[in-house]
Amino acid sequence: MIQISDLTFSWPGQSTPTLKINNLHIKKGEQLFLHGPSGSGKSTLLGLLAGIHTAQHGTIEILNENLAALNDAKRDKFRADHIGTIFQNFNLLPYLSPIDNVLLGCNFSKRRQANLKAINITAEAQALKLLNELGIDEDTQHRSVNELSIGQQQRVAAARAFIGQPELIIADEPTSALDADNRDIFIKQLFEQAEQYQATILFVSHDAGLASLFDRKVSLKDINGASL
Amino acid sequence: MTLINLAFKSIINRKASVLLTLFTIAISVMLLLSIERVRQEAKQSFSSTISGTDLIVGARTGDIQLLLSSVFRIGHANNGLSWHSYEYIKAQKGVAWTIPISLGDSHKGFSVLGSDENYFEHYRYGNKHPLSFAHGRPYHNAQEVVIGSEVAKQLHYYLGQKIVVSHGMGNTSFHHHDDNPLVIVGILEPTGTPVDKTLHVPLKAIEQMHGPKHTGTHLIGRKSHDDAHDHDHDHDHHRHNNEALNSQPGDLVGKPKQITAFLMGFESPLYTLQVRRNINTYEPEALSAIMPGVTLRELWGMLDIVEKILMLFSGVVVLISLLGMLTTLLSSLNQRRRELAILRSVGARPHHIFTLMTSEAILITALGCIVGLTLFYSLIFIGKGVLQAQFGISITLSMLNSYELLLLGVIMVSGTVIGAIPAIRAYFYSLNDGMSIKV
Repeated sequence: MIQISDLTFSWPGQSTPTLKINNLHIKKGEQLFLHGPSGSGKSTLLGLLAGIHTAQHGTIEILNENLAALNDAKRDKFRADHIGTIFQNFNLLPYLSPIDNVLLGCNFSKRRQANLKAINITAEAQALKLLNELGIDEDTQHRSVNELSIGQQQRVAAARAFIGQPELIIADEPTSALDADNRDIFIKQLFEQAEQYQATILFVSHDAGLASLFDRKVSLKDINGASL
Repeated sequence: MTLINLAFKSIINRKASVLLTLFTIAISVMLLLSIERVRQEAKQSFSSTISGTDLIVGARTGDIQLLLSSVFRIGHANNGLSWHSYEYIKAQKGVAWTIPISLGDSHKGFSVLGSDENYFEHYRYGNKHPLSFAHGRPYHNAQEVVIGSEVAKQLHYYLGQKIVVSHGMGNTSFHHHDDNPLVIVGILEPTGTPVDKTLHVPLKAIEQMHGPKHTGTHLIGRKSHDDAHDHDHDHDHHRHNNEALNSQPGDLVGKPKQITAFLMGFESPLYTLQVRRNINTYEPEALSAIMPGVTLRELWGMLDIVEKILMLFSGVVVLISLLGMLTTLLSSLNQRRRELAILRSVGARPHHIFTLMTSEAILITALGCIVGLTLFYSLIFIGKGVLQAQFGISITLSMLNSYELLLLGVIMVSGTVIGAIPAIRAYFYSLNDGMSIKV
């Protein structure tokens, strides 16, 4: 699913690299917990995975596609088609209803729309299904996004990442605003969604306490060979 | 959900600033269309002041001066032409009709025009409209007067009323021909031309006013007496009405020595140039003959600069409103960076962002045009009465003509082009910001 080899990345103007990863492999359907305290190069790695930054050395392959070899437009398209992202601060559009926010996820990807067609469901129906399964009841679905609680907003954001069945879900500190109970429930719901179609989850957090919930955990500190 | 739908929801979210922009555009569209419509209608009503007349003949003077004095009652003719010349030219071959015109007197600021029965029969304005009577009939003798609609309206005159016509132009005059009161026997329908502001009397009435018998000086002091006299008439004007309208036909022309000008119509337009040349080379007296259509065009050509300034102003108003939209879009762009970055993060490509931004500008401009059109029609609906009354410009609630549609098209295109500027900036922002949501 993801294969990182001999990766070296340093910010422009810096002599010492920020990231140096010899080898990281993530299998399809795996739920990986990537533990990274602040300053461990976590955001940089996510930037590399999303194709915002390009490594000076080494390769990142997602679904056997070398991101560095794609041009900007193709990388944009690849990201939209194959990666769903859940952000720390949700990033919902305040002027859209929860359903419309979820629909945004497959709005810009023909592939995700095709995926939905293949399982014989409309985007709207899928959005409703995801919201229901993630615990957003019908009443809440039609309220303004601004009126939702933090937990509810995070579920809408998760539904948006999952709609159209992208192969990879990247969750960047999605639970930092949730309390322990909600956090565990939320992560379990993520797993349920992922298992429905064998999606890979890359869950990044500084909170090592979550590690026990995942099949596999990696500490960025351990794999990052760059001297920090 | 389409991009347009998204743009629409985003606009609703920022409705205050968008509404303000929209309103600015609407007002500028309204202004532009109104100014243009008034300009066109003014031109139209200007050139329709007189029609069906082949030649206007007066003492030798500038073409425009003759037209202004004889048709628009602006300025005055320095000289008249002799009645003898009039009779001579009238008898020429091919002349279908003539209308003698004698100007120079006024009544409470309205001009007095002396003529004969041909005036009501042959005078044409607009699209060859004859004069028609709202009340009453043409004058039958030298004691009768027919007034234009504005005269009746502003001075509250009615049929059968007796009025006094003074010598000279202007509101006050040192002479009052108050021993020659005239009876109002007709009130004309509004025409939107200077006819509305004219009192029409027979030539003989003019002669009588100026006759040697009445040359004695009367001071304005007599006027108060007249008013009291008029007031008495108010009480029983219905009786007067019938009495006056049943008058005996009499001589309308008298023995005038001079008239100001005359209008001519020919049996065939082919005579026009020939007769014109004959008049311009007429030996006994120096005369000018003008073709009203040609001179009207010349005159409007002189007003061209005013027309251009009006257009310039309305153009600048539109430009300012579009620049206002640009300012609003650009300043909201910083606030919207997060929104655009979110869209990028869910897979929107930079060209989607570009489309989103331009479609917003197009939407605002289009709505601005629609609201502006509504305002424009409301304004015309409310203002047409005032324009007709004050300036004699009749404006119709007609559909947009092709020129006005073109103006709207130009506004739409400019709005789109201007909307592309922030869109291009957003495009590069989204390229640089990429997926990182910083703001």
